[in-house]
Amino acid sequence: MPIIRLPYEDLEDLTGVSIEKIKERLPLMCADVERIEADYMDVEFFPNRPDLFSVEGVSRAMRQFLDIKPGLTSYKVEKSGIEMVVDSSVQEVRPYVVCGVVKNLRLDSRAIESLMLLQDHLHRGIGRNREKVSVGVHDLAKVKQPFRYLAVDPGFSFVPLDYEAAKRFDQTFSKFEMSMAEILERHPKGVAFRYILKGKDKYPLILDSKGDVLSFPPIINAELTRVTESTKDIFIEATGLNENVSIALNIIACALADRGGKIQSVVLHSLSRTSGRIEEKETPCLEPETMEISVKEVNSLIGIELSADECKLCCERMGLGASISGEETLVVKIPAYRHDILHPWDINEDIAIGYGYERIKPEIPETLVIGEVHPVEEKKRTVREIMTGLGYFEVLTFTLTSERKQFELMRQTFKKSLIVKVASPISTEYTMLRCSILPNLLEILSLNKHRNLPQRIFEVGPVVLKYKEKSRLAAVSTHANANFAEVKSVVDAVLKELGLEDAEVVESEDEAFLQGRRGSIIKNGKYMGIFGEIHPEVILNFGLSYPVVGLEVDIITSVRE
Amino acid sequence: MRGKSTPKVTAELELTVNEKRVLLALDREASREEDQRSLSEKTGINEDAVMQTAFMLAQKGLCEIRGERKVYHHLTEEGKEYAEKRLPERRGLDLLPLPLPLQEFKNSFTDEKEANISTNWLLKKGWAQIEEKEGEKFLSPTGNTSWGCLGYNADEEFLRVVRGEGKLEESLLLYRVKERIPDLNDKWLNRILGELIKKRGLLEHNVEIKRRIAITETGKEVLSHGISVEEEIAQLTPELLRTGSWRGRKFKRYDVNLPSKEVFPAKIHPYQRILDRMRRIFTDMGFIEIKGEVVQSSFWNFDALFVPQDHPAREMQDTFYLSAKKPIDASEELIKKVKQMHERGGSLNSTGWRGEWKRELGEEQLLRTHTTAVTLRYLASHPEPPVKVFCIDRVYRHETIDPTHIPEFDQLEGIVMDKDVTFSNLLGCLSTFYNKMGFPAIRFRPGYFPYTEPSVEVEVYMRERGWIELGGAGIFREEVTNPIGVKYPVLAWGLGIGRLAMISLGLTDIRDLYQSDIEWLRKEQTGYSLNTE
Repeated sequence: MPIIRLPYEDLEDLTGVSIEKIKERLPLMCADVERIEADYMDVEFFPNRPDLFSVEGVSRAMRQFLDIKPGLTSYKVEKSGIEMVVDSSVQEVRPYVVCGVVKNLRLDSRAIESLMLLQDHLHRGIGRNREKVSVGVHDLAKVKQPFRYLAVDPGFSFVPLDYEAAKRFDQTFSKFEMSMAEILERHPKGVAFRYILKGKDKYPLILDSKGDVLSFPPIINAELTRVTESTKDIFIEATGLNENVSIALNIIACALADRGGKIQSVVLHSLSRTSGRIEEKETPCLEPETMEISVKEVNSLIGIELSADECKLCCERMGLGASISGEETLVVKIPAYRHDILHPWDINEDIAIGYGYERIKPEIPETLVIGEVHPVEEKKRTVREIMTGLGYFEVLTFTLTSERKQFELMRQTFKKSLIVKVASPISTEYTMLRCSILPNLLEILSLNKHRNLPQRIFEVGPVVLKYKEKSRLAAVSTHANANFAEVKSVVDAVLKELGLEDAEVVESEDEAFLQGRRGSIIKNGKYMGIFGEIHPEVILNFGLSYPVVGLEVDIITSVRE
Repeated sequence: MRGKSTPKVTAELELTVNEKRVLLALDREASREEDQRSLSEKTGINEDAVMQTAFMLAQKGLCEIRGERKVYHHLTEEGKEYAEKRLPERRGLDLLPLPLPLQEFKNSFTDEKEANISTNWLLKKGWAQIEEKEGEKFLSPTGNTSWGCLGYNADEEFLRVVRGEGKLEESLLLYRVKERIPDLNDKWLNRILGELIKKRGLLEHNVEIKRRIAITETGKEVLSHGISVEEEIAQLTPELLRTGSWRGRKFKRYDVNLPSKEVFPAKIHPYQRILDRMRRIFTDMGFIEIKGEVVQSSFWNFDALFVPQDHPAREMQDTFYLSAKKPIDASEELIKKVKQMHERGGSLNSTGWRGEWKRELGEEQLLRTHTTAVTLRYLASHPEPPVKVFCIDRVYRHETIDPTHIPEFDQLEGIVMDKDVTFSNLLGCLSTFYNKMGFPAIRFRPGYFPYTEPSVEVEVYMRERGWIELGGAGIFREEVTNPIGVKYPVLAWGLGIGRLAMISLGLTDIRDLYQSDIEWLRKEQTGYSLNTE
């Protein structure tokens, strides 16, 4: 989840509240304070609130939450007269685009840093690592409208932002200008995000009326439009694969407006695929959406008793506009920078937060049901009692393991049809779900070679065979005199205690055990277990140096039993 | 003075039979010191027990134990070789009736190391010197062939003496060498011994401590009062019981504080005991335990829970997918409803995720990333209220293993579905559970999960650690409950168990739960206690 750095100076300037108060109340709004330092704090916000991914956004929310400026914060949008033509060529590569302008800014280094960090967090969050949405901010004074958004040949070249970095990245690079293909090849940003353009014939590009490049989305901006402390007017473009481009644009525009800028709109002209006509669209649109909620439902969902007025106050504390309509209904205005309100319950939650979770009284539900342990767990509990009574210590091990441990070290022939293999394992040690527990127990013995003997351990847990889970008991004993007679006694005791005396034992062919000292347990003609003296080669494969005897028996053959 | 005799009487009373025997044996040879072997022979008590008894007596001031340190020398492997073949410099001297070019001298040894040893010691002992003739180095004899004492080679004598004996106590070794070389002074004697041990590594030694035991004046006094050695009973036997001969006899007194041999009861794993305790709390609260399969479809693990198809948790870096896809194990009707819910909120007043929902992504097979997949399936097949179930089981996340991350761990999941349940009921269930786990202070903070609204995070307070987040909870979104036909609120929580277990077992490495050190299992106390103070 995104961790946002909040410098105290900025926070205090933007909220007018003491840091102490913010520290106290922030966690109650929706954040985890990760780290508190002398002049800043790092706070983790939830991914559904990208509007809080900047110090400006957090300050706005705090002004509302602390009742300094509750309710909807409205942002005026004037017309800038700036236009963009969207070429149909972008349909195949990156079809969505929205733009906006923020004027009359005075940006210091802190404001610029905050803007860059916000952009970064948006790219990672709703941008899904820039694939779904990416944003560029540009110094408007350096370029001349109207702008054009189009897809061009990868051979097109310009001077990318941070070309110095590309130079360091690849010593052979000697000119400033790079083709888009070269950027993907050599520029650190190109290398990091080229996966998004993989397989595309043409790459997206934003140009001004003179043919100068603003941006090569979603990879990199041009050096020409770099935002600096002398930048007064900013041009924002958000491109991507879905409608979330608008949210990204709105969040950035509002954050800049909170720094004193004036938001202005851009008119986009594009050829509609369906109507074949040129369509006009003006962005950003910061008109709040409305949703109706029922006060009764709020109370019955949360378990509190609020009046419509109180609900209204709670909404306002969360930055929502609210007006009472009739006795039981609230018309809620959702600011255009909020991305998380899909359904009335999302507002109900905001009301609960505005009311304060700490004020909600925990009450046990009246629902009456008789509690019950699952039969599988009851059976496992019995097995644990039997095994500890027999002097075996319980161990718990991972169910993820490898073919090597399950088959090779155990002298078993590999059976592909039997196993559940993961497609992208974390390492060669954990590639499949275990189909036998014995190898895990031998591994535990090898970890305990330096400990006193005798060692007797067991595990009762799941194995997965052909996608189906079974519960099994496995046990091993190791010491200088471990032998068949010992394990046979244990097997007999376990079967008897579990009421399985009628199971028969026949000689087994299992290569993990010594020939003539291995038995299969059969019940009603079905195999249910194995026991015997572990084969010396297996003992050595696990790096052990004393005799080992072991058993593995099905306890329950289906989890739904 | 009168008072002085009191402790002696007490001492007599407290003496064990063994102590009395040893004391008497010491007294018989009053002037001599005894070692443990001779005492053992005289008392018939084994040597270890004699020594223990002597220590007990010494503690009571009745005897004295003096340790004598003895050094025994023997030849190293190299020493044995030289004792047989003679020292390299001695063999070198044989090659030097006349000066010889240094290189030629060295070449006549088979071993370069030995050639160097020979050269160095020839020079050091002053038996040979290096002369330069026409730019070439020559080794020439000086005529001197003694070392340590004129006419003798003291170091060779040392080797010879030790070789003859195999192992020799140091003072005896020095004595034997002096016997052979009467004129060797002590300074040289010690210097050469040192040389053989430290510089040349031809002799090695080990140290043995010989204990000598002698009776003290107090001991004698105690004996002068007279003590009687009566046979005490050590082990009560069936024989003694049957014949009644135990009556009137004395039983050997044991020191009840002596440390005993450690034994350990076989145990249920400490972590399992914590899991069982949680299970017990939920059944006590009226919850029914449910179970489900480890391998789930993406549909049940994510889609039916309204997790958007491009959510980061669904990526390969977070989830273990299997290589095979399978048709979704749900009715076409349900699949259609879930699809509509994702795309535009179905029939609800919801926007949905506004993107296309792809069936093939729901067909992916995976290792369940949470047990919510299990509880949701249960809800889908039990849509009528009331439902109060829980599940404690293994879940899988694509995490690289380190002290705080493992790819599989246990989760405790619970749900309550009923007509009038509320968010405050959810907080009530969580408070009760954590109170019963031993945490009196709990707080709730806003949280976020894609499938619950409102959502909450639970924190418990621990002294010295502060507020610790232990779980997430919420009410299932209508986007989740509507397609499966559930009409009432579903309170749900998923609590991490590993962190709680680590805290209560005092572990700093979560891997220790699954890679058991048997010594830890033996020693970890069975009585479960969670120190929340």
